[in-house]
Amino acid sequence: MKKGLSWKIPLTAAIIVISIALFFFNKIHLGLDLKGGIHLVMQIMTDDAVTMNTDQEILRLQDVFKKKSITFASMLRESSGKFTIQGLNADQEGLARDQMDQYLREWDVVFTGASATATMKPVALQTLKDQAVDQSVETIRNRIDIFGVAEPIIQRYGKEQLIVELPGVDNPEHVQSIIKTAAVLEWKLVKGGPAPDEETLLKDFGGKLPDDMEIVKGDPKREGEGFYLVNKVAAVTGKDLRLVRRGQDEYGSPAVSFQLKPDGAARFETVTGENIGKRLAIILDKKIQSAPNINARISDQGIIQGHFTVETADDLVLVLKAGALPAGIKTLENRTIGPSLGADSIRAGFLAAMIALVSIMTFMIVYYKISGINAIVALFLNQILLFGSLAYFKATLTLPGIAGIILGIGMAVDCNVLVFERIREEHALGKSVLNSISLGFSRAFRTIFDSHMTTIISAVFLFQFGTGPIKGYAVTLIISLVANLFTAVFVSHWIFDATHSSKTQQLSI
Amino acid sequence: MTMQLFKTPNINFMKYKYVALAVTGAVILAGFLNVFFGKGLKMGVDFGGGTLVRIIFKNPTTISDIRGELNRAGLGESVIQESGEPKREYMIRTLQFISVKDAQQEIEAHEKLGNRVIEILKGDDGKAESAQGLKDLNNIDLASLSSLLKPAFPEKAEEFAQKIIDFRVHKTPGSGIIEDYAKLSGAGIGPDVIKNLQGKTFLGKLTVVSKETVGPQAGADLRKKATLAVVWSLIGMLVYIGFRFKLEYGVSAIITLTQDVLMALSVYSFTNREINLPIIAALLTIVGYSINDTVVVFDRVRENLKIMRKNSFEEILNRSINQSMSRTIITTGTVFLAVLSLFLFGGKSINDFAFIMLFGSIEGVYSTIYLSCPVVFFWTQIFKPKKGAPRTASRKK
Repeated sequence: MKKGLSWKIPLTAAIIVISIALFFFNKIHLGLDLKGGIHLVMQIMTDDAVTMNTDQEILRLQDVFKKKSITFASMLRESSGKFTIQGLNADQEGLARDQMDQYLREWDVVFTGASATATMKPVALQTLKDQAVDQSVETIRNRIDIFGVAEPIIQRYGKEQLIVELPGVDNPEHVQSIIKTAAVLEWKLVKGGPAPDEETLLKDFGGKLPDDMEIVKGDPKREGEGFYLVNKVAAVTGKDLRLVRRGQDEYGSPAVSFQLKPDGAARFETVTGENIGKRLAIILDKKIQSAPNINARISDQGIIQGHFTVETADDLVLVLKAGALPAGIKTLENRTIGPSLGADSIRAGFLAAMIALVSIMTFMIVYYKISGINAIVALFLNQILLFGSLAYFKATLTLPGIAGIILGIGMAVDCNVLVFERIREEHALGKSVLNSISLGFSRAFRTIFDSHMTTIISAVFLFQFGTGPIKGYAVTLIISLVANLFTAVFVSHWIFDATHSSKTQQLSI
Repeated sequence: MTMQLFKTPNINFMKYKYVALAVTGAVILAGFLNVFFGKGLKMGVDFGGGTLVRIIFKNPTTISDIRGELNRAGLGESVIQESGEPKREYMIRTLQFISVKDAQQEIEAHEKLGNRVIEILKGDDGKAESAQGLKDLNNIDLASLSSLLKPAFPEKAEEFAQKIIDFRVHKTPGSGIIEDYAKLSGAGIGPDVIKNLQGKTFLGKLTVVSKETVGPQAGADLRKKATLAVVWSLIGMLVYIGFRFKLEYGVSAIITLTQDVLMALSVYSFTNREINLPIIAALLTIVGYSINDTVVVFDRVRENLKIMRKNSFEEILNRSINQSMSRTIITTGTVFLAVLSLFLFGGKSINDFAFIMLFGSIEGVYSTIYLSCPVVFFWTQIFKPKKGAPRTASRKK
């Protein structure tokens, strides 16, 4: 066989078979714009996690000091990773220092007279923040898993951001509320309220908010509007939960019942035991769900009331089970695409692609005759290669991606046109059929290569720096162009070689 | 027996270079004036932040109806555009200025605005029905519909629910909303099911096709990334062409591409369309095609410089453009066909993209002839005027 056809044909056949196999064994994922679903970009407020950690350390240190009988006037958080102790007894300073060295290994402690300031070490701070992000990703993944969404994408994006993509969700509002609920559950002692506004609330305290307290609003959907004054430090939190499930309150309304871990149960017992007759607020995401009276010492179980329906109670159980987010989350971007828009885009995109293909094919055959068929074969192979590769790379096909494909088709046609016009030119100069073909390909190749390389280079940068839709576009364009170099140059050339010999007089082009 | 559109022409393209440069300048200037002193470029949700809601109505509704409703609620500044199904499908972008301190409140405020638009347009629709415990069949999700059908059709509830949802999503004209119960027979379910549904559901007045909110931080982030992507890909092209041809060709290519982008944006600024991420992709495609075209002509110039040693550089440029003409027309023609079918049949989501491409595919050819070539020409005039440009330029690399 001439000109290496003995390896060119099998190689082409093998690549086609592999592409087809790849296409059938892998699945091409459709982007949200085609399938519908939710796309969220969220920022994790890592400072929240640091604040919570600081509060816990304060609580722990207070315990330690109490045991060692170290007296102090106040121990308060100043900022997210910093707290101060004031009114330390001068002759207990050494003892306090020892205890703090032992229990606050990840903090820098500075003593100034009767007070001490503890600041979290930078390394510990960073670790805590990283953990908060990882844990948030994990928690949201858990929630989505329990909720049940097929093929969710939940990944870290940049330093403190994460992307959640949920394809094909048909009740977006519900899913979003489940993702976004911080589910930070806290039990805090009520010191005042409910009051209609903050001023009334603070009347008993001389109009000034005491250092160790904070104001929390009632959840309008649960407890009702109103302001409460509560302890800054929580008695127990969602982390102490061992078990949660939907239960009932004494009136038979839906509620959430819980059990605490031994550690939390011990603290809960102390707090409830010491404060019988007072109110204990159950706070979910900084909103009071209910603030029942403490009637007796409670150790390890109880219920959360708050005008729940079966659905809202189930949702709360779900988020509590999956765990609280270690930090608040703020939404940066929220796109909800209904399934019908995507269906419409696919239908329209497919129609447009078909019309484009058919009109291009008709033109090629009319204008280039038999050689036009050659071009069409190359175009088809190109599409097979493209979809095989898309499947292999697990690429996501998006709307701009379809545009990239259509433009890839345009470039493929251009390759053929460049070659055919060159062949015609050479043939018109009186060169033989085989010679014209060979010269046409070699002359056009340089042009094709340069123009393809230029576009590929720009597409690679688009892929590198682009986001979402631009990336989807770059992927299909790059694959299309690489496939072009193979089909429109290599394959098309050997088809010409195989169908023309030195005896061929007529060039149908 | 070859079919040819025309013989290799012999048009003196370069003769009109000053006229063409004046036209180009005028278009770009008009765009500049329009962008900075006139209508301005409209940033879409992707870059400008805010909320974009797509809504489809059950019954025909006019823009003035919608505007009236929104005006009464103090949301008159929203942009309302028909999109897709005529008289029934609309895009509404809230443009209310929101003054809040931190970004989080801002995005929440945007989301709320979007929700408020939906609420207002819904009006009292469905309130009476919901109070009776009826569910909106145009907004129900699969699981709820399935459980609604369960009592009457314990075996087939899921199958029916799936069929109804599929019908709503795929088969309804304009898609997404069921106009009346009679149409449901097209979903492949029996009259008994439809009758059952009529007792439990109602058909809501509208359905939300999509809702997109981009906060200021994310908007800025997307803007930054898109700019980076564009700048780097331009640099990449400059380096490659400079390396494969000569520096002046690379410089000329970049100037050409800048013109492509400016002209496309200029034309775009006179429409009511918005700049979103896909438009950036479109601009880059225009740039890609234009560079392709430029490379093809430059390649001819590179070749002709070796053959036509006696001719002036201007003649070589003319000859090269003429020689590439049939290829250029055929390729641009097919691309134009592809983009035209995208524009006419590609659906609403891709319409802006196709529109700008339609202009760009033609403009790319123009820019090759009347900017890439003149720039190289002027460069040789300025930097290598003595011996006659062709010889100097033909020096091999």
